[in-house]
Amino acid sequence: MGKLTIGTFSSLVGSMSLDFAVKLAEAAVKKGHNVDFWMSGNATMLAKKGQKAFKDYSFLSKTLQEMLATGNFNITACEACAEARGYHKEDCPEGFQRKSMDWYLASTFEADRVLHIGGD
Amino acid sequence: MKLAVLMSDYRTGSDIIDRLSAEKLGIILVGNGVYHAAAKEDGKACAILDKKAEFFALTEDFESRGFTADKLDSRVKAVNYSDVVDLIFNDYEKVIWL
Amino acid sequence: MATRKLAFVVRSLPYKTEASRLALTHAISSQTVEIYLNDGDLVEASISYVGDGVFNVMKNQQAGKHYGITTNEGHAKNTLLLDLKVLICKEDLDKFGLTEENLVMDADDLGGDMKANIVSYSEIQKEMETADHLLFC
Repeated sequence: MGKLTIGTFSSLVGSMSLDFAVKLAEAAVKKGHNVDFWMSGNATMLAKKGQKAFKDYSFLSKTLQEMLATGNFNITACEACAEARGYHKEDCPEGFQRKSMDWYLASTFEADRVLHIGGD
Repeated sequence: MKLAVLMSDYRTGSDIIDRLSAEKLGIILVGNGVYHAAAKEDGKACAILDKKAEFFALTEDFESRGFTADKLDSRVKAVNYSDVVDLIFNDYEKVIWL
Repeated sequence: MATRKLAFVVRSLPYKTEASRLALTHAISSQTVEIYLNDGDLVEASISYVGDGVFNVMKNQQAGKHYGITTNEGHAKNTLLLDLKVLICKEDLDKFGLTEENLVMDADDLGGDMKANIVSYSEIQKEMETADHLLFC
């Protein structure tokens, strides 16, 4: 089994690219791969707890918690990007990490594949 | 290099595709990129499909946009998320998102 | 001991979205990545500007004056203070009528000794081929 690192800048609301990233991660985890999932920029919106499910908007929290429970999924938000948007450490959902950008680059070191979604 | 391009847009990114060269090139149409596989303008298929590459389109995304697999260009193979994971790990070495 | 090469390819315009700025800040963060790695292991980043992305390295960006934020010009200059390879696509500069006079080519004023390189697209293609991973922004 391999390691996939996904980095994304895409918004949770207003773009479907983050949905793609999460569904791809889910498919990879289901196949037994390890996935590191990095969020920068608007993607850090995913690292805010207390999101409610509305049919008009993507709701990815449940899928993320299920992936975290496997132990093969790591999800980390850019700390500065989150702070700039008013999401503080205490706003982070359980199991999520906050790190600086070098964490993401370090994750690519042992990754077999890297998918970088650099935009919405 | 063996390169998989995840093409997520319809109106942008073709300029990059035109220039890319790879020993093995796979273009996986996702998001709005699936219109390359299914839409015709003035009755013509999208020019991107003339590129020397293997083409795939994500079923979840073309179905979400009202297309069915039988409407895809014959050069494009329908795949699901599980297939995309296998393509990324088994058939290509590098992956980019456009 | 190993080195992984990451090629950031900047193709988006600055300011309307954060994509190109984040490409630069992520590439710059390669300078501190060792804290997460074993001794001797490295992550080496390069930055290539292609297509519309060449506008990120325009001189005289005044976003600081008008919006109170750092400029992409400033970030581009920071990349030249570090040990990053910077490539700018010549064909795209020609297309837009830009020359090195218009661009951030060095950080001499800040004491940097790296230079940006204006190269043909084929050189950028080679950079992509030799990288372990590609990060388009």
